[in-house]
Formats: sequence, C-alpha cells, structure tokens
Amino acid sequence: MRDFPPVITTFYARSGDGPTTGPLAAPDTRTPFRFLLWTLRLQWPVILTTTFLGMFWQLPPMAGPWIFGRAVDEGIVPGDVSKTLQWGAVLLAVTMVGALFGILMHTFIVRTWLIALYGTIKMVTRKAAQMGHVLPRRTPTGEVLSVAGSDSDEFGALTEILARTWTQLVAYLVVAFIVLSTSLELGVLLLVAAPVLVGAAYPLLKPLHRRQEIERSRNSDLTSLATDIVAGLRILRGIGGERTFGSNYAAQSQLARQAGQSAGIWQAAIEAVGVLFSGVFVVLLVWLGTRQVISGDLTIGQLISFLGYALFMIYPIQTFFEFAQKLTRASVSARKAIAIFEQRPPWQDPAQPVGLPVHGDLADEQTGFVAHEGQLTIVVSAVPEDTSALADRLGRYLSPDTEPVSQDIGEGLKGRAARRAREQRAIDRARLAELDEERARAAWGVTLGGVDLAAARLADVRRRILVSDATSQLFAGTLQDAVDPHARLTREEAEEALRVANAEDVYDALPGGWQGRIDERGRGLSGGQRQRVVLARALAQDADVLVLVEPTSAVDAHTEARIAERVADVRRGRTTVVTTVSPLWLHHADRVVLVQDNRAIAEGTHEDLLLDSPDYRRVVTRAMDANAETREEVDDRG
Amino acid sequence: MVDLLATSPDTWRDRATEPPAVPHELEPPREGSFTDRVTALRRRHSLRERRALENYAQSRKPERGWPVADNQAVLHFLRALLRDRKRTFVLLVVLNGMAAATGLVVPRLLGALINRTVAGDAASSLNALAVLVVVVVVAQAGFTFLAQRTSTVFGQDLLSSAREYIVRTILQLPLGRVESASSGDLVTRVTRDVGTMSRSVQYGVPMSIISGLTVVLSIIAMLLNSLVLAVPSLMVIALAYPQVRRYLRKAPKGYINEGATYSRINSTLTETVEGARTVEALGLADRRVGAGDDDIAVSAQAERYTMTLRNLLFAVIDVAFNLPRVVTLLVGAWGYHEGWVSLGQITAAVLYVEALSGPLDRLVGEVDRLQVGAASTSRLLGIAQVPPDRTPGTQLPDGPDLVGSDLRFAYREGHDVLHGVDLTLDTGERLAIVGPSGSGKSTLGRLLSGINGPRTGSVTIGDVELVELPLETLRTEVALVTQEHHVFKGSVRDNIILAREDSSDEAVWDALRAVGSDDWVERFPAGLDTQIGSGNTQLTPAQAQQIALARLIIADPHTLVLDEATSLIDPRTARTLEGSMNALLEGRTVVAIAHRLHTAHDADRIAVVIDGRIVELGSHHELVAQGGEYAALWRAWTS
Repeated sequence: MRDFPPVITTFYARSGDGPTTGPLAAPDTRTPFRFLLWTLRLQWPVILTTTFLGMFWQLPPMAGPWIFGRAVDEGIVPGDVSKTLQWGAVLLAVTMVGALFGILMHTFIVRTWLIALYGTIKMVTRKAAQMGHVLPRRTPTGEVLSVAGSDSDEFGALTEILARTWTQLVAYLVVAFIVLSTSLELGVLLLVAAPVLVGAAYPLLKPLHRRQEIERSRNSDLTSLATDIVAGLRILRGIGGERTFGSNYAAQSQLARQAGQSAGIWQAAIEAVGVLFSGVFVVLLVWLGTRQVISGDLTIGQLISFLGYALFMIYPIQTFFEFAQKLTRASVSARKAIAIFEQRPPWQDPAQPVGLPVHGDLADEQTGFVAHEGQLTIVVSAVPEDTSALADRLGRYLSPDTEPVSQDIGEGLKGRAARRAREQRAIDRARLAELDEERARAAWGVTLGGVDLAAARLADVRRRILVSDATSQLFAGTLQDAVDPHARLTREEAEEALRVANAEDVYDALPGGWQGRIDERGRGLSGGQRQRVVLARALAQDADVLVLVEPTSAVDAHTEARIAERVADVRRGRTTVVTTVSPLWLHHADRVVLVQDNRAIAEGTHEDLLLDSPDYRRVVTRAMDANAETREEVDDRG
Repeated sequence: MVDLLATSPDTWRDRATEPPAVPHELEPPREGSFTDRVTALRRRHSLRERRALENYAQSRKPERGWPVADNQAVLHFLRALLRDRKRTFVLLVVLNGMAAATGLVVPRLLGALINRTVAGDAASSLNALAVLVVVVVVAQAGFTFLAQRTSTVFGQDLLSSAREYIVRTILQLPLGRVESASSGDLVTRVTRDVGTMSRSVQYGVPMSIISGLTVVLSIIAMLLNSLVLAVPSLMVIALAYPQVRRYLRKAPKGYINEGATYSRINSTLTETVEGARTVEALGLADRRVGAGDDDIAVSAQAERYTMTLRNLLFAVIDVAFNLPRVVTLLVGAWGYHEGWVSLGQITAAVLYVEALSGPLDRLVGEVDRLQVGAASTSRLLGIAQVPPDRTPGTQLPDGPDLVGSDLRFAYREGHDVLHGVDLTLDTGERLAIVGPSGSGKSTLGRLLSGINGPRTGSVTIGDVELVELPLETLRTEVALVTQEHHVFKGSVRDNIILAREDSSDEAVWDALRAVGSDDWVERFPAGLDTQIGSGNTQLTPAQAQQIALARLIIADPHTLVLDEATSLIDPRTARTLEGSMNALLEGRTVVAIAHRLHTAHDADRIAVVIDGRIVELGSHHELVAQGGEYAALWRAWTS
C-alpha cells in the first residue's frame, strides 16, 4: 500500500527510476472528472482501508443509541441492575473500539491526503522538468505554482472527504436498517430526510461559490499588491509615494473585506438553513415517535434511541453536503491542473538521430552567422533582441516571444460566458502548442559541423551547446552548489571558474566561503555579483560550444576588462560566442560579426571592422545622432 | 593583492559524503515485534520533535533579516484591535450566546416531551410542545444566521485593519535598512505570514469565542438539567485536561515547523519553474526534481510529528469525551432507581454530552490555530520594532552645496569599506565615480545621497547633515537613482507622482514629456489612469526606465546620484534613454557611479575609487595625462 511521500515517476523519471508504464504513466486529462478519478485510482487501497477503519470509528454513534435504548428498556425501567451493567459494559466496549479506530482512521486520512498533496506537487515539479523552457511560454508561472500550492490541497481534501463519505454512507444505511426494523414509518422518514436536507441548501451553494471565487481573486490581488510594495520598497522609501501606495493597498484591502463579508453572509445562510432543517427533522422524528409510544408500537427506550439517531443523522447529512462542496472545488482545481498536465513537450527525437560531430563550425542559416570551430566569435548588433534571438536559435530554444495563456477569466463572468471564455483559452493554448510543435518538427536551420540540430537528440544538443542568456538564474543553496551544481568539479576547477569570472569577492563576501548561503534567485547579491557567479557556473560546465549573451552588462569597466581577457584565455581553442558591444570584449575576439536586420552584414576583427564598416563604428562607438532615431523605434513598440 | 580564495580548501566540501535530507533513523523498521516497533516509533517521535523545535527556535530568532516580536506584543496588538470594535464584539458574543442557548433548550424540551409521553399526557399537549420546539429551532436558525454574519463582519474587519496596519508599518521602515536588507524575508512575511494571520484572525478569533461560549453554556445547561447526571460526566471530561494542555504546548511549534517546510517546498518549486530555461540549459532537471523530493521528504517528517501529537491527543479525548455516555447511563440508572432523575432528564443529559464533544473538539483546534496565527503575527509585528535610523531636525539647508568629509563606513563592525573620503561637489558639475566592484564606490554614493549616515565624518547639504533632514525634504534635495526601475501595480500617475503626491496632471504630463514618454502614454486609452505594473499593461524595459526618470523629474532634486542607472538595461535602451536622461540631468549636480567609460568621459570630473579611497580625481584629460589607473582603463576601452 502506498505511503507518503509517494514515489512519482509521472512525466519525468530521474535517472535510476524505472520508466513508468500502465495507467499511472500519465494522468487522464480528458475532463476534470476523469482526472479526479485518476488521482483517486492512484491510491484506492488506502482510501478503501480508511473507509473500512472509519466504519469501526463510527461504531459508537451507530450502535450507541440502540444500546442505550436497550439499557433503558431492559435495565433502567424494570430496575434490573445486572442488565443495566451488562449494557453499560457493551457501551464501554463500543466506546473503546471507536477511540482505537479513530486513531487508526486519522492516521490513514493523513496518509491519503498527503499522498494526493505531495503527489500533485511532485507531478508539477516533474512537469516543469519535462517541459523546460517551453512551460513559461505557455502558462503564467503563478498558475503553475498555484496548482502545486493550493490545488494540490483540494485533491487531498477530496480523498479525505471521499473516505469519510463512504464511512458515513455505511453508517447511514446501518442506522436506517436499525430504525426501519424498529419502526417502518420512522425509518422511512430518516431515509428520505437526509437527501432532502442536502438538496435544500444546494441552491445556496452556487451564489456562495461565486462570491468565494471573487473573494479569492481579490485576496490574491491584495497579496500581489503587498508583494509589489515590498519589491519596490527601496523606491517608495527613497523617492516617496508611501501615501499613494499605502492607500491603494488599503482600498484593495477594503474590497477584499467586502467580498469576504458578502461570501460570509451566504455561508451564514447555509449554516442557518442547516440548523433549521436538521432541527425540524429531529422534532418531527421525536413527535412521530411519541405518538407511536402512546399507541404502544414503540418502547420508551426505542424512542430515546431514535433521538440519538436523529442527532447522529446530522453528521452523515453534513458530510454528504461537504462532499458536494469539496467535489465542486476539486473539479475547479482539476481544470487548472489539467491545463498544466495536458501539455506535452513539442520536441520529438528523430527516429534515427544523428550524433552531433565533434568538429565543425556552428552556423545559422537565417542570419548567415557562422562561429568557427575553436574561435571566440563576438556578435554585435544595434538591436539586442536580434542577438538574443540568434543565441536562442544557436541553442535550439524557442524564443520567449509568446504571451502565456492564463486560466484566469476574471471575476465578472459566469455561466455560459464563463464557459465560452474558458473554451477560448483552451483554443489559444492548443494553438500555442501547435505552433511550438510545428517549429520543433521542422529543420531547425542551425548546423553544427553540417548537421542540423533537429537531426540530433535534444539531450545531445543541450550537452554540446550551452547558451547562458540574460534569464540565467541562480538557485538557493551554497556558493559551491551555485558554481558546481552537478557536484563534479574539483575544488581547483571551481576556484579557477570563480577567478575567470572575477567573482572571488562573492566568495569573500559570503560568510562561510563555499558553504555561504545564496538566497533564492541570488537575491541578496548585487546584480553584478549575480552575473559573475552565473558566468562562473557557465564556464565551469566546460561545454564544447559556449554562447554567452551580454555576460558582463551589470559589471563595471574594470572588472569587465579582466573578465574578457580571462574568458578569452580560458576558452582558447574552444568554440565560444559572446554577444556584446563593449570594446573591452571586442578586441579579444578572433572574429566579430555585425548583425543587422537579422543578417550578418559584416565580419572581421574589431580593428578591421572599425576601419571598414561605418555601420559597425556607429554601433560600437556610440553615435551621437542615435538618439532621435532609436527613440522612434521605442515609440513604435509602445 | 590578497588572495580572496585563501580559505577555499577549508570550506570546500566533498558532497558525496553529505547526509541525506532525512536521516535514516527516521525510517520505520521493516520488521520486529510490536514492542520493538512502539519503541522505535517513540524514538522517531522524539527525534522529529527535536528537529521541529530547532526549526521553530530558528524562526523566532532569525540570524538574518528582520526582527520578531514577542508574545506580549501580539496580545497587546490583539487587545487594541478588539478595543476599537467593542460594539461588534459585544454583539458577536450576545448573538452567538443566543444561538447556542436556543440550541441548548431543544434537548430539554425533547426530554420534557418524553416525560409527558411516559406520563401519558394527551396528544394535544404533546403537539403543543412539539410546535414549541419547532419555534425554538426557528429562533436558533435565525440567531445562527445573525451570529455567523456578525462573526464574518467582525473577522473581516479585524483582518483588514491588521493587514493595513502591517503594510503601513512596512511603508515606514527606515531607509537605511530597506536599502541594505534583502527583501526575501519581507516578501515571506507579507504573503505567508499575513495568510496565516488572516486565517486565525478571520476564523480563529470568532470561532474560539463561539466554541468557548458554547462549551460554557452547555455545561450550565447540563448542570441545570441534573446535577447528579452532570457532575460525574464533567469530571471524566476534565481528566483529559493534562493531555490537552501538553498537546497545546507542543502542537503550535509543530505546525509552525510544518508551515515552514511547505514554504520551502514552494520556494524550491518557484525557482524550478521560473528558472526553467536555466534548468534545461545546464541539465539540472534531475537535481531540481531531487531537491523538490527532498523538501517533500522533510515536510513528510514534520507532518508525521504533528500526526503523532494528534494521535496522542485523540487517544485521550476520544475516550474522555465519549465515556460520559456510559457514565450517564450508569448514574442515570441508579438515580432513576432512587427516584432522583426522570427518564426525560436522562434523555436530555445524553443529548447534552453528545452535543458537548463537538464544541470541545473545535475549541482545542481553534486554540491551536490561534497559537500558530500568533507566531505569524509576532513576525509581522517584528517589522514595527526596527528602530528608526534617523531623527529629523528642524533646520533646513541653506543652499545646494554638498560636502562630504572624512567619510568612513562599515557594514560589518571593524570592516570599514571607506577610509576617510573627502569630496566637495561643485554646484551643477558632473562627477563620475569609477572603480572596480567592491571598491566602495556604491557605498560612497549612498552616503552622498543620505541613504546611510557615515560612521565618522559628515555629509552636509547647505550646512545641514543629510541624515537630519526629514525624508520629504531630503528627497527633493538629493536623490539616488539605482538600477532598479520597478514599475508599481497602479496607474501611470501613481507611478510618477511618488515624491510629490499632490502633483497636478499637468506636472505629470510635463515630466512625461521631458523624458519623451508623452506620446506612448497618450496612446493608452485611459491615459494617466492606465493601470501598469505586474498583471497589467506591460511596459518595455525602455518605457519602465523612462517612468523611473519621470519620477525624478517630479521630485526635482538639485543633486542626483546615479548608481549603475543604465547598466542593467540593454545598450540600445541606454542610448535611447540618453535624451530622457539628459532632460533629467539638465541643470542639476550629478554624481554618476559609472560602469561604462563613456559616462566618465563626458563628466566634468572623475573620481577613481580603489579600496575605499579616492586615488585619482580630475577631468578626463587630466587623468589620461596622469597615466594612472584611469588612463590604463581608457586605453583598453579605446584600443
């Protein structure tokens, strides 16, 4: 039987994990309902066991009133001490069994909940690992994270309520049987009342959910406002604006309060309706019971049992109610999860992959750019987007030129309009996926040693060509982890990497040296420090082909000069491409290529190009008249 | 030159020997007798407890980051919040009391119904009593609605005040601390801690009041129904008290530890998703998946700890809360035999003990939740305990002359990064500061702009110490322009008027025009009211930078300190912005902490800072002629 944390190999198997086969290989993403069924099927033995244990846990409320009634009829009323003690002992035993199984059931409920919760988080992590840079192209990061952060909990809640619902259903039927066999009339009342009670509050659920949805969305806006204030706090305290943003926050906080209150009113109505209906039901039951006692069909002990059951029946009813609520919420969560889980990587390794040759130039058809083997080639362009697009192509990355499709359709829509909006989003998402697949299927247009990158395995491309671009990120951990994430460098190699990237001061600044902690995304380090650690990490990978995009844009001239010299030195004889316009780099280049309008229009050494190409001169030694011209371009983008 | 990597051999670790995320001792044994297993479980439980306590202690006394307040402060805060809402609070108690009380009348009436049935009363009297019960039930439903409504209004109101207070506090944090501290801890506090506090304020406070009230009223109702039946049952329930207390002492720490493991899971996953491209490029997928699994394994241990705590609690309360049924039966039989209690009283007593266990359970849960909420609240209130870093005086500067003399500054005690720097700015001049990273040039910029006060020496503007100026005045005298060009969530106007929040729209348009942004802002349908920032209309990096510059035009300080202002944006936008930048710099004194040499080239004077001292100071031509550090760099740049 599964335990938590569960072993998950869906979407991505770590080396050492066996490949996943069978129904667990991938979730059923056809509909939210099927998805939920799939998550439940992952652990049905656990849920079944929980249900089984739950039946014993429910023994006291199930059998208690009956025992009590017998004790009244056989012991108390006739004054039979031994009978009273006998039934008292049975009641004690039942209570103890209930307590013991209560603990067991709790243990299993935690287990099933956490299997679902941890399982979902693990699947999201594996989905991210499987999709790589393609995932943020299609889905906003926040939505990926919220599947792991909050939807996972809904799935856990569903497994719990499912087990409890089964338990309560059984208890309900057992009690119904006891009651029916005592009195047909009252038994029927009990059986009929439960569904009626669940149904009665149902119309109130929809408006409640809509309001809860609004409350959730306003609260998340509120959180992002607070995060935004913290992110810009230096500006707010440095330049001002505390009043404006303080009151913006307060206004949103009041909106969230109103939404919470109006949801709360519906919640209150639902509670009140629950109290009313179950109360009336109890009275009705007792009243009918007294009539039967008078007519002699029922003993007084039996009536007292009925009372106990009438009170108890509230719990199954509430549980069924809760089940309906949680199922709805889990379905909403399932829809969000499906939007992530149904995505597939666009790449498909060719049927007969060609190994990338060890020797040869790296060439891009679209621009005509060529990086010769073993040389340091620097790409210069007036438009940085061109060079970063080129770098993406060289590494076989899809450019981040798409707007991710959000699942969030806003708070105003409901009913058919909401469904239409959701369908539209699904279509948009599918279109993005198709676009990616089309690009991934076709010849890529970049060759290494004459072999198109699409003809080789993607893993092979990644191993051979390393592109370190502006989005390169540091991860939380020690400095040692940051420079040597694979744990395969010697200390000397790591030191060398730090020296080449001129990042020794980061080592010195962190208490604990190599074991010094780097915060998430390298927060706490300055921009320049971050950039140099990223560079050290890229250099230490020792890739055959290394592409560095603006590697020193946040570094001062002194340091840049040192880095350029050392990188040129350490990469001597290996294919290296750097995009920059800094002269401090340029005169270390074996070859400089000027890219304009997506064409390589000039190439040569820095000195030659300075002499021969006015375009080049204008880009490198910043031309004073560039202002007016480029400002127009910015306007076009706005 | 010192070798900065001198300690490298001591701090480098062989990671093959690293301990696993979860020690092997925490894995349950596969076989063994029942007693062996129980012993092993106890061992694991105490090990888990130790881990939880360590983490908890760490969260109370963070090594880095912002302080944490004590429990006293939390109580004080809560009392102040309640004091402001006395009326709603009283209403909440009264309405919930009424709801509980009406609910408690029902069993008594049902008991009476049974007594009358036994006594053989006429059907009509039974019917009348039944109708009365229905009336009471309707009243109970009505009170429940009103009580719940009041609770929501109360909880939501309490919550909004609390969170607005926190954000106000954050907006008053000392400038020097804000500039130096990492924002990560603060982000966690405004997201996770506000969330935890919300749950406890919004539900925990009203619910514990309601449950407590219900428990008290139920006990009273029980005693009123029959002392003989009530007292033994209550005594049995009281037996659970020591275990409940033990649980309540330990559990919150367990839950706080648990919460920390979840935020760890979340931040690791966030990094994996946001850094997807990096993960893919470096082939880190296996590592990231492994890191996520490790976080989950640690979290599972935290869950197992609290699960065992709960099981230990349940073992006691499940018995103690259910045993009264047996007690009532036996005592009832005896009392009935002796003629002290009626069947109706026994019935009502059973109904009461059944009804008592729910609120009791809830009360334990809510106190739990309140304690966890209190821990988060103490972290939030800790923000308010950061002492102010300056006491503004009343003296206003006499003229714009900025003079720094004998400046020394240390981030860590005994580690001065500046060693007695003297610098006098000429009004209207452009001074470039160049130097390698770590030389202290950024620190100098922060002292010159009044972000931090110097350890020794002074920075004055018009003969007044910068740190003695009120912030509102300081901002209009000198401003530090950093590489951060954060665009706030809000309107274009909100994003620009920061320094002078009462600026007119004309002033805003003037500023936009000056930096060359008027035409693209005009093209927004909502103009200045267009919502920008994360989640709204996206700006290009150049536009974001222009917005940042327009803010400064509005602030209109006579002196600007530019720190790497254009360094993090691409070279082309840097050039695009030159026009916008020039508009801003026009007529002001400018100190530029330069990464790019062309900035230095254009300056009136250049200060070369190395190892916390100004080693060269003069115009470009003077320094090139001098043949020192700057000259060498310039040659490399232009060759």
